[in-house]
Amino acid sequence: MTDPKHSTVAASPPPPRDSAATLGLLGYVTAHALDDDYREVARARGGRPPARRTAWLTVLVLAAFMLLIITAATQTSRNAVAEAHERADLVKQVKSKQATVDAANTLIDQLRAQNSTLTSDLASNDKLSSGTRTTLGTLGVLSGISAVHGPGVEITVDDAPESHSTRQTVLDSDLQLLVNGLWQSGAEAIAINGERLTALTAVRQAGSAIDVNYHNLSRPYVVRAIGNPATMPARLADTAGGQAWLDLHQQLGLRFDVRTRTRLDLPAADVPTLRSVKPAVKQTAKGETP
Amino acid sequence: MIAVFGMILGVVLGLIFKPDVPLWMEPYLPIAVVAAMDAVFGALRAYFEGLFSDKVFVVSFISNVVIAALIVFIGDKLGVGAQLSTGVVVVLGIRIFTNVAAIRRHLFHA
Repeated sequence: MTDPKHSTVAASPPPPRDSAATLGLLGYVTAHALDDDYREVARARGGRPPARRTAWLTVLVLAAFMLLIITAATQTSRNAVAEAHERADLVKQVKSKQATVDAANTLIDQLRAQNSTLTSDLASNDKLSSGTRTTLGTLGVLSGISAVHGPGVEITVDDAPESHSTRQTVLDSDLQLLVNGLWQSGAEAIAINGERLTALTAVRQAGSAIDVNYHNLSRPYVVRAIGNPATMPARLADTAGGQAWLDLHQQLGLRFDVRTRTRLDLPAADVPTLRSVKPAVKQTAKGETP
Repeated sequence: MIAVFGMILGVVLGLIFKPDVPLWMEPYLPIAVVAAMDAVFGALRAYFEGLFSDKVFVVSFISNVVIAALIVFIGDKLGVGAQLSTGVVVVLGIRIFTNVAAIRRHLFHA
């Protein structure tokens, strides 16, 4: 250590107090960096060495100073640690939320794929059901449970004008022959006097009248058959029923008029009571007709 | 030597007890440290210039710390705490630099 006696006190003399106002702030602060009290006390001391009685106070204050610094440092580092913990916590939370979002997105994708699969399934089901409806319609025509219309032939048969014997009247067997002949010649639906013929229909004599579907018919008998009007009359003439009727017409004088019609309306038959129904083919799901 | 002993004592005490600063005091701690540094460096310069006095050091240290903390406290109450803190740090920083420069001149004759 150098001798502090020939120090820089002379180099930087304390400026007069009243000059403080004229100095710039920075200059004032720099000039008064050392507390003026030190110089005042030293001047009052008059050059004598400072008393060491109160040295313990200096020790105490310096200890407090270091304590202050250490405390501030620990506090700051402790805060930093706490902040780092918080930050790590936040990062963890963000990551877990991101995982949740990812999972949700995956779920959305899966559900979308499922949705499109279901939509196409629905479309194919629609196709299937429309096929089924077509089949049902065909079956309705063939079984007679739905009303139909279309081109066909209209055959009017009646007793001979002057009938003297049952030979010259239309019998149930005659109508049966005619109807079977029409079926053979390609008829798709037949009705006699508005009574639709089905697979369960019986044409038979009941007393003096003819019964169809348990309804009495009265003369003349009008047989309407839907089918190809261009070919049906010719094909009918080739069948046994047609031949028989031509004979009846020519030999016995029974009325037998065959006319083609562009449009015939046939009613539906009464829905028959089903007694025992079993599917003929089990794989109906493939759209096959049983 | 006795000063170095005091500083070591403070470090040891601080490391042993690790005093917990109350939350309301936390904003004033850095300013108090800067004010204390100013007092300590001023005392060191006075020592090199042969002007050191225990009484002046103790009084200047305590008053520096208390006044610095008080200024920031009042500034906080007025809503200009940050600005006053900056002002205190600037003034004290200039003083510290000036005193340290004087100390350097004494130590290295430069």
